[in-house]
Amino acid sequence: MPEIKLREITKDFGKTRAVDNLDLVIHDGEFVTLLGPSGCGKTTTLRMIAGLESPSSGEITIGDKVVYSSKKGIDLPPDIRDIGFLFQNYALWPHMTVAKNIAFGLENLKWPRKRINERIQELVKILHIEGLEDRYPSELSGGQQQRVAIARTLATNPAILLMDEPLSNLDAKLRTEMRAELKRLHKETGVTVIYVTHDQLEAMTLSTRTCLLNKGRLQQYAPPMEVYRSPENLFVADFVGSPTMNFIEAKAANVNLDQVRAEAGSMRMVFEPVSGSITVQDNQRVVIGIRPENLVVQPDAPIRARIYSALPSGMETVVKLQIGEHLLTSVIFGTVEFSIDADTGVAVAGEHCVLFDKENGRKLATGRLTLVP
Amino acid sequence: MTFWNRLRFWIRKPQNVILLVLAVLLTFLTVVPLISLMRDTFIVHSSEIMSVRGSKLGDFTLFHWRKVFLDGERSYRLFYQPFFNTVIVSLASSIIAILLGGAVAWLVTRTDIKAKGFISTVFIFPYIMPSWTLAMAWLNFFRNGLTGGARGLVTALTGWVPPTWFSFGAFPISVVLGLHYSPFAYILIGGILKNMDANLEEAALILKASRAKILLRINLPIVMPAILSTFLLVFSSSMSAFAVPAFLGTPVRYQVLTTQLFRTLNGLNPGYGYIMALVMIVVGLGILAVNQWYVGKRKSFITVTGKSSNISYMRLKNLRIPLTVVLLLLVVLIAIVPLLSFLIESFIMAPGDYRPSNFTTLFWVGEGREDIGGGEPGILINPSVYQAFWNSIRLSVAVALVAGTIGALAGYAIVRARGTKLSSFVNNLSFFPYLLPSMAFGAIYLSMFAQPFLVLPSLYGTFALLVLIGSVKYLPFASRAGINAMLQLSNELEEAAIIMGVPWRKRMTHILIPIQKSSFLSGYFLPFISCMRELALFVLLVTPANRVITTLLLQYNEKGWNQWANAINLLIIIVVLVFNTLINRLTGASIDKGIGS
Repeated sequence: MPEIKLREITKDFGKTRAVDNLDLVIHDGEFVTLLGPSGCGKTTTLRMIAGLESPSSGEITIGDKVVYSSKKGIDLPPDIRDIGFLFQNYALWPHMTVAKNIAFGLENLKWPRKRINERIQELVKILHIEGLEDRYPSELSGGQQQRVAIARTLATNPAILLMDEPLSNLDAKLRTEMRAELKRLHKETGVTVIYVTHDQLEAMTLSTRTCLLNKGRLQQYAPPMEVYRSPENLFVADFVGSPTMNFIEAKAANVNLDQVRAEAGSMRMVFEPVSGSITVQDNQRVVIGIRPENLVVQPDAPIRARIYSALPSGMETVVKLQIGEHLLTSVIFGTVEFSIDADTGVAVAGEHCVLFDKENGRKLATGRLTLVP
Repeated sequence: MTFWNRLRFWIRKPQNVILLVLAVLLTFLTVVPLISLMRDTFIVHSSEIMSVRGSKLGDFTLFHWRKVFLDGERSYRLFYQPFFNTVIVSLASSIIAILLGGAVAWLVTRTDIKAKGFISTVFIFPYIMPSWTLAMAWLNFFRNGLTGGARGLVTALTGWVPPTWFSFGAFPISVVLGLHYSPFAYILIGGILKNMDANLEEAALILKASRAKILLRINLPIVMPAILSTFLLVFSSSMSAFAVPAFLGTPVRYQVLTTQLFRTLNGLNPGYGYIMALVMIVVGLGILAVNQWYVGKRKSFITVTGKSSNISYMRLKNLRIPLTVVLLLLVVLIAIVPLLSFLIESFIMAPGDYRPSNFTTLFWVGEGREDIGGGEPGILINPSVYQAFWNSIRLSVAVALVAGTIGALAGYAIVRARGTKLSSFVNNLSFFPYLLPSMAFGAIYLSMFAQPFLVLPSLYGTFALLVLIGSVKYLPFASRAGINAMLQLSNELEEAAIIMGVPWRKRMTHILIPIQKSSFLSGYFLPFISCMRELALFVLLVTPANRVITTLLLQYNEKGWNQWANAINLLIIIVVLVFNTLINRLTGASIDKGIGS
């Protein structure tokens, strides 16, 4: 099965640049998510791979076939790129029954009627929509429509599956269910999936690699846990994770090669990089990022904090802590009772705190952080 | 709770009072006349005493029914021939409207054709203008002089004399009605196409369907319901059209139901006419029933409207410029050139001669000459034109006030009492006049109000009768506007005022009407413009004293006073277009927005 390569892809809509000089390689059998806020160019990128949109410049190859090249003047139409496309609103044809929707692509491939019917039976079984073959799309629930759309897309056995926010129209419960199904589907069929979403949780849970985009530019392209633990820049750090990462602006200076001292108002910290030694200039402006689960409440710790609010949800408790002039978020597993305005102690655990350069937002290092009294 | 207490409680709600009054009033103004019309088909009228042997006025008779349906060759000439003509013309015009309007709708909504704004604005013009506009323009261009009168502009310009089938009869009537109603197709089909999610096409494209297959298997089935409702709407509108066949058919005695109705009611056998009116109403109701049945059957199409942001225009490539030019020529030809022809014709001294020396301002500002049109003065200094114009304005204002106010009240009451039987009864009743062909509706009122009825004196020949029929006929516009306005308002806005003890009248004038003023205003304006350009509704009911500008136009045309007719027509069109534009700017309403509601 093919590998997909995007080389220096740029797309302009009038004066606005939707995608800016994007390089991307998607290996065979991967599940890659294009993740980013709305308007970041992720859907445009997907549609360009499908051939529904033409890039302004660059080159796209699928396998060893060049499907688009501005230099060579190649622009193959979608129907010969051998892809499947799942639309956000499913795009089921309202005047055709479920069976006809699924059969349409097979008819275009001139399959014999008997094989088409067998294939339909096979698909409705896989997707748990048996018995709905003669219904019209408007007679189906959102989740059922979704499954029919997937069946229609899978029917022709495409080598590449492109999905444009396929779960965003479902309610929260169905979404979780379908996520699990999609992951199984990927495993069972072995197709290459490119999946567009603005939901970072979806990207984290589904993909083998996540491609973060912002304003048409690639931010980071890595496996989801790497993106989570070691975000390339402030945008990625902020976009990925819920509740979001705590950011503390500080002035930093090297103590020695393996230690950076940082000061943010009344708060003093020491940062020890684990990703290799770093040097900062004296008084360099930095941002320190702490994931909420790494900020732990320890009643006897020397650094004192005030409970600003506590939001228990059963499985976890989100606590807002006031430390000096900073308001930080902490997540504690399980239900913990806190009384508001109570005094407690805090500490930072683990070695996945991140030091960013305030100036350009880039990551300087990841490492251990110690709060100093 | 006792019955009386319940009644007192019920009557305390203003919406119930309004509904009750409207139910009685509208029954009296729509259902009773219909019954009266049926009765009229069975009795002997004063002009018929001689032909129905041995009868007295008002006797029961089956004479009319026998003569219309069962009298061999004579029935054929009287009824069947005009009926078939009507069917042929209506079918042909529906097909023309769907092909033309659908094609333009597709080009404007789904392709990258240029000048979309101009095309979509001007393409609607023929519908906003009075229906006979294009008929008169056709005459101006294609008269062949073979049935009397002068030859038209085409002969003057090219020397080609069109054959009679081209100048008069089924062909030009179908074409003109088709052009006049093609905006229906444009609006209804275009509405679906515009909202149709491009993903539906893209999904088919990815599954390797060809362009032609996508058009045939995806686009066409999806717009099919719109095509069908266009067909039904154009068919029933064409069937009830009077002015166009009167202008283009009468010179060669090509009769359709409406012109035949006009002839018989104005002539010696009103009984025949009433039967024909009944036939038209039955066909109209039948068409509505088919529409309702079809709409009910295919609810599944509602899902078609998706994210309209997913639109990608089809690239016409080499055809882009040629198609744009063709379309621009077309809209100019059907919307602007006719107006120029009226202007030219109104300045021509001897018809058919277009040399500059033959131009005159006689028909606009001339004193009138004994040898031309019996000394009729030019229209700008003509007291009868001013009289008719003043009547039109007066009538339109009165109709707008009555229909608009009742419509607003009806909208309020229908929405507030939603779900009750009375509410849906009044809702249906207030929509009923929309379904009655204008000419038949006029016939009904003629039948009912020609003699004293209950407490009412004979209203025939009075201005009040015109106001009455206009108000009832255009009530659907106003009540739709009122209902839409009320549906967009949440109940809480009024309930908050009820809790504070604000009385009903103040709630209406200080809260509901100010919030939805443009919607309510359109309920006044739409009847106004529709009334200004109405002919078929009034033509049976006017007398010389209270004729309106449109019936005056018809008279000039019947007398062959072509130049005056062209001048007046131009005047009417300008007034209608100016008012429609003004109203559109002020409230967002426009005549064409009433389509299909």
